[in-house]
Amino acid sequence: MAEFETISAEIRERAGKGAARAARRAGRVPAVIYGDNKDPVIVTVDRRDVIKQLQRGGIQTRLFDVKTDQGTHRTLIRDVHFDPVTDQPIHMDFLRVTRRTVLNVEVPVTFLNEDKCEGLTQGGMLQIVRNTVELTCPAVDIPDHLEIDLTPFNLGDSIHFSAVSNVPEGITAVIDDRDFTIATIIAPRGLLSAASEEEGETEGGEAAADEGGES
Amino acid sequence: MLSPKRTKFRKAHKGRIHGVAKGGYTLNFGSYGLKAQEPARITARQIEAARRAVTRHIRRAGRVWIRIFPDVPVSQKPAEVRQGKGKGSPEYWACRVKPGRIMFELDGVDQDLAERAFELAAAKLPVKCKFVVRWGEGS
Repeated sequence: MAEFETISAEIRERAGKGAARAARRAGRVPAVIYGDNKDPVIVTVDRRDVIKQLQRGGIQTRLFDVKTDQGTHRTLIRDVHFDPVTDQPIHMDFLRVTRRTVLNVEVPVTFLNEDKCEGLTQGGMLQIVRNTVELTCPAVDIPDHLEIDLTPFNLGDSIHFSAVSNVPEGITAVIDDRDFTIATIIAPRGLLSAASEEEGETEGGEAAADEGGES
Repeated sequence: MLSPKRTKFRKAHKGRIHGVAKGGYTLNFGSYGLKAQEPARITARQIEAARRAVTRHIRRAGRVWIRIFPDVPVSQKPAEVRQGKGKGSPEYWACRVKPGRIMFELDGVDQDLAERAFELAAAKLPVKCKFVVRWGEGS
């Protein structure tokens, strides 16, 4: 059974954009708790708490006990809406979970041993195709992250889902019809060709001028 | 410089930029991005200048993605021409950018290097910009 972190919330009296905006002005994030065949509850959460959790990463793979005046809800953060300009959280969805809940969840991928990877030490670049992989798993057994050891990979190699080393038993990827790509190790353009398209026209003169100006 | 291969019409209305970005406001490709904070028309020349500033600073180590495309033809009348007699001829291409739009993305380099590269790129653009990182990765 996974550990639940605690986050405190206040019940919202009024729904709608007026009340939600008032909550945001007061430094809180409007949120809703739903699921498990119970009535939804509208709440607000302290924005600083939300940002603290967001900065830790993998917020949608961790379980939260949302404490309100009317009781505690065992939840998973299902969605976070951000302001397009300021990137501040403006709304959150909490999904109630039980031991029986099985859901699709986006789990972040972590790459290990970048310094031991031959392709990367040769100057290659890790191009990540998927930062997260969607898994079907019980809510209480969501892995924090998926690990991929980069040691055996060389320049030009593709890293597929089969290379993930820590997929727990009984957990499957949502894409199950193929061994999909998670990342590739590509050669940077400088390694591929010495002469690039911009070098001929401006690189020499402007580069010298730029560097002179900066120093 | 970026420009459309072919267009349905040679000239376009000037238009106005209202509201905030409806899409393209999250990082989709790289780990770092440059986000517009104001509405503006960004020319193909400015996009190219910003791209060069980034690639030169990172010494072609990482990879750069350009998330905007100049598809608005901007016309100008020649100098010393009286008003009237029709719209001027298309002179350059521009892109309408709304606040929140991620204009460039970058990956494969350290955060400090990316931050400085985007600082240099932002100086080439007519909008206030913000450096953005994925949540949980040094944000």
